[in-house]
Amino acid sequence: MDQSSATASHGGAIGMHGIKKWFGNFQAVNDVSLEIRSNEFFTLLGPSGCGKTTLLRMIAGFELPSEGSIRLDGAEIAHLMPNQRPVNTVFQNYALFPHLTVAENIGFGLKMLGKPKAEIEAVVAEMLKLVHLEARGNNLVTQLSGGQQQRVALARALAPRPKVLLLDEPLSALDLKLRKSMQIELKRLQAETGITFVFVTHDQEEALTMSDRIAVMSQGEVRQVGAPWEIYDRPAERFVADFIGETNFIDVDVVSVGTDRALVRLPSGAEIPATFPAGTQPSGKVTIVIRPEHASATASAATAPLSGTIHDIVYLGTDTHLHVRLADGSSFMIRLQNARSGPCGYSVGEEIGIEISDDVAQILRD
Amino acid sequence: MSVDAAELNEKLHRKDIRDRWFLSAPALILIGVASVGPLLIVLLYSFLAPGNYGDVKWAFSTDGWFNVFFSRDIFDDTVSLADAHFTIFWRSIRLALATTVLCLIFGFPTAYFIATRPPQNRSIWLFLITIPFWTNMLIRAFAIQEVIRGEGLINTLLIKLGIIQAPIQMLFTDFAILLGMTYVHLPLMVLPLYASLEKLDFRLIEAAYDLYASRFNVLMKVIVPLVKPGIIAGSILVFIPALSSYVIPRVLGGGKNLMIGNLIELQFGQGRNWPLGAALSVTLVVIVLFAMLYYVRNAGKSGGSAHG
Ligand SMILES: Nc1ncnc2c1ncn2[C@@H]1O[C@H](COP(=O)(O)OP(=O)(O)O)[C@@H](O)[C@H]1O
Ligand SMILES: [Mg+2]
Repeated sequence: MDQSSATASHGGAIGMHGIKKWFGNFQAVNDVSLEIRSNEFFTLLGPSGCGKTTLLRMIAGFELPSEGSIRLDGAEIAHLMPNQRPVNTVFQNYALFPHLTVAENIGFGLKMLGKPKAEIEAVVAEMLKLVHLEARGNNLVTQLSGGQQQRVALARALAPRPKVLLLDEPLSALDLKLRKSMQIELKRLQAETGITFVFVTHDQEEALTMSDRIAVMSQGEVRQVGAPWEIYDRPAERFVADFIGETNFIDVDVVSVGTDRALVRLPSGAEIPATFPAGTQPSGKVTIVIRPEHASATASAATAPLSGTIHDIVYLGTDTHLHVRLADGSSFMIRLQNARSGPCGYSVGEEIGIEISDDVAQILRD
Repeated sequence: MSVDAAELNEKLHRKDIRDRWFLSAPALILIGVASVGPLLIVLLYSFLAPGNYGDVKWAFSTDGWFNVFFSRDIFDDTVSLADAHFTIFWRSIRLALATTVLCLIFGFPTAYFIATRPPQNRSIWLFLITIPFWTNMLIRAFAIQEVIRGEGLINTLLIKLGIIQAPIQMLFTDFAILLGMTYVHLPLMVLPLYASLEKLDFRLIEAAYDLYASRFNVLMKVIVPLVKPGIIAGSILVFIPALSSYVIPRVLGGGKNLMIGNLIELQFGQGRNWPLGAALSVTLVVIVLFAMLYYVRNAGKSGGSAHG
């Protein structure tokens, strides 16, 4: 095996094609194809049990795909053992070696690669500094707090300078405040090292904050791949729109279709433009999504594209949510930013119009 | 006020300690009756004179201890070192160590195999491991004799197959003793090893592979350090009974390949020298004690000491 390639610090593009994985009769991954770019912060996002870990374990080499190919910088790696791939993992439970010190844990990979002692020591010192644990090198890992163990796991996986770093819900065991600071920390490390990060999470906010691109998964399939804004503003299907953030679904009729916008008729009869997923040709009855913050309330109910009666007002500090009952009986939510102090000025039972910002409606694939 | 508190505290503390002594009384009585008491009797016997037909005379004598280390010529009373005893002690230690190593070599893969089976199947495998215990050791020793003797299973088979012309002498050799002792003691190694391996977090093994460790390094740098408590326990459990084995060397080693156990048995039987037998027994206990102290200390020192 060529282990010198294991420590090269450029490249790191992963191509997965037609990946399927069965556990007995159960199919955990169904025909996944993904192109992860070099030096990218790529996130696999999806509910628990959707196959994220399984996909990650196939990249690491702990599971063999039942079908399909995995390429690293163009070369097939699906048949290689984990110790032959220039890919390292930050495990969900950290999996630190309890019988070794912090420094020995971090140096483990380089030692296994047969690096000279001086080099190992230098890299370990550098890594300890990178994760702010300079004073802890000689501690046993069992003496560290959860957040510190997390950073050791990170340093241990980064020390051999892999081409790709795999992170399986690395922040899920941390409390909220620590999680927020580690999110920033991880972004910084990714930028500084230039290593491709493949990050797994079920937390949509975490995914939106950290990622260059996100793949949303459900039941073993990738539903949509895109930049955070695309996933959020241009969800391709109901599952993605529902899983990420809060949203309003409205059933509409397609009036006409242009190159990248279609004109749709709302139940009220008003017509608005809407974007649609690439490669689809919307027609007939479709569903559009409008995010609550992309709508606003207006007193002139007659001229607004939508109108209804407020049936609930929820004050959230930064925002206020107005829940409006539309004419057809469905509920529509508006998010008002509390730009001024004091009550929002609306009351339950009030009749209001709903204005929709320009170019915010998105047609879902059926 | 504060004096009262301190007093109360001390009372509680004293009561606490009393309770603990009380609670451990059954264990202490058991250890006293079953372990310390007999040992003291053996120690006492080693300082008495031998009776004419076995047993002891109630007279103080150091002859028992003298005879452990020296032998007196029957004719001219010249004293020389008891070479035969030293040889037997040294042989026994060597054989017991070899048995321990062999049990570790065969027991580790066995325990690993069981620990990596699906949880619902493990108890079946453990059950199979304990089956040999159902049969008396003497019978198992004779069974081995049947397999390896001149006209036994192995030799007959090899001759029939034309691989050898004359039977190989296996019975009444050190090989036979090692074979028997390894066979008999293997479960004592497998069980504690399994207990350790079962607790092993197999994700650590994945982590090691992920960090470029070879199979050998995964074993030596991760698995062995983490299951060290099991290795230590298993080695002690095998070494001690192996050192004092007596049925196996008797049946499979023949008359000429004695171990300490046989030597001691001889003094209480045909030799009719109970004080010598008692002194030899105490010597054996002391050897075991020092061996254990040395082993545990060194095993604890070389890395992994902080791991429970
Ligand atoms: N080794 C396995 N044997 C059988 N089923 C498995 C195995 N590993 C995972 N699965 C199943 O595959 C599905 C996907 O699991 P996983 O990839 O861990 O999901 P996620 O990480 O997205 O929560 C789950 O239903 C899980 O029960
Ligand atoms: Mg998972």
